[in-house]
Amino acid sequence: METFEYIKPKSMDDAMNALNTYENAFLLAGGTDLLVGMKYNSIKPECIVDIKEIPRMNTFEFNDGWRFGALVTVRDIEVSDRLKQTMPFLNQTAKALGSIQIRNRATIGGNLSNASPCSNFGAMFLAMDAMLKIISKDGERQIALQDFFCGPNQTVLKKGEILTEIRVPEDAGKAEGIFLKHSAGKSNDLGLVNIAITLHREPGTNLCKKITIAMGAVAPTPIRAKKAEAVLNNNILTPDLIIRAAKKASNEATPISDFRASADYRRSLVATMVAKGINTLIKAS
Amino acid sequence: MVKKYPVRVNVNGDDYEALVDPRKTLLQFLREDLDLTGTKEGCDEGDCGACSVILNNRVVSSCLVLAVEVDNAVIETIEGVKTGEELHPVQQAFVDSGAIQCGFCTPGMVITTKAMLQEMPNPSTKEVKEYLAGNLCRCTGYVKILDAVENAKEKLKNG
Ligand code: FES
Ligand code: FES
Repeated sequence: METFEYIKPKSMDDAMNALNTYENAFLLAGGTDLLVGMKYNSIKPECIVDIKEIPRMNTFEFNDGWRFGALVTVRDIEVSDRLKQTMPFLNQTAKALGSIQIRNRATIGGNLSNASPCSNFGAMFLAMDAMLKIISKDGERQIALQDFFCGPNQTVLKKGEILTEIRVPEDAGKAEGIFLKHSAGKSNDLGLVNIAITLHREPGTNLCKKITIAMGAVAPTPIRAKKAEAVLNNNILTPDLIIRAAKKASNEATPISDFRASADYRRSLVATMVAKGINTLIKAS
Repeated sequence: MVKKYPVRVNVNGDDYEALVDPRKTLLQFLREDLDLTGTKEGCDEGDCGACSVILNNRVVSSCLVLAVEVDNAVIETIEGVKTGEELHPVQQAFVDSGAIQCGFCTPGMVITTKAMLQEMPNPSTKEVKEYLAGNLCRCTGYVKILDAVENAKEKLKNG
């Protein structure tokens, strides 16, 4: 491994300066993806900008919707009682990610920025219609997570930009939701398929007012199953309708075959998991 | 000359100051610079747990942390677990339960078990399996390790 500069800025301004000084600077948060990339020489940084000491990036709070700092660790989400009471599906999403050693370091902003097709938070936050706040030396911009990913390990982040915040609308906190990951055995391995669902029902009934279904590891980026959602929105969630939607979702998936699973297997997992997810939600009450 | 960076860190209660190569992982720093070789390198990519240490109260894989990142941190490694000559209850439980064969995974297992029991003194078997899922053992088949954790729970309760 070639050597590199290491900079640990104490403020966002200093971080910006560092990012703009070096041609090939990389941000370091939890490091659980970055260090692996560096060891395999697929990432060759000229400079590493360790952003862990920038204030206010590792907290989350409710303030007219939820605001999550990008440096909140996966473990912080997993153990948060506050989230367990409001959005337990976020705790679930966190718990399904890697080992305890990884969850203690990995951050939610890193999980999104690394843009793995099977990113747990990529799928869950997509289902929650999350918005991202991105800062550069020219100011800040907001974009929908929907527009953030552009391919495996690729995002719209430009040189000199930092993802600083994830916001979810207040609405998402009132939904029921579930995160399902299917991997080989009971291992910590990446999901063969991830499914994230949020559901708003007419209280006390199975009338679906709004459902969101996101899928991971079945396309170059996490994606929404919009056609499946359309089948269910404003309808009563009957067993037949759920099966029809699950099949639609499976057709919307464009998985690849790799050493973990074949495309066909992944597609059939999608149908099974979407149906299971919805059924679990409506049986829970 | 490779540029080096100053690091001050507390490991097992002792303060250290060192100049480190930015490429060095915490694992290499502990083993090569501080001569604390109890922490093991298995996979060197975050998959096996052999390199587990407690960093600012959280168990982490030291192969996925850069040494330069731990400036001002507090770290506990397997060498800091016992008190004087007396084994820690978790260590004694691993010995008593015969949960050690080649011993390569043991420092990581002990550290992770200790971190777990600090966070939750009375985990269920399911919780134990989940917490230790990142610590691989190629020898024991895990049954005796789970016995050791049960045993450690009891020892600490009656402690
Ligand atoms: S050596 Fe660090 S996890 Fe395997
Ligand atoms: S005792 Fe040999 S790897 Fe666990």
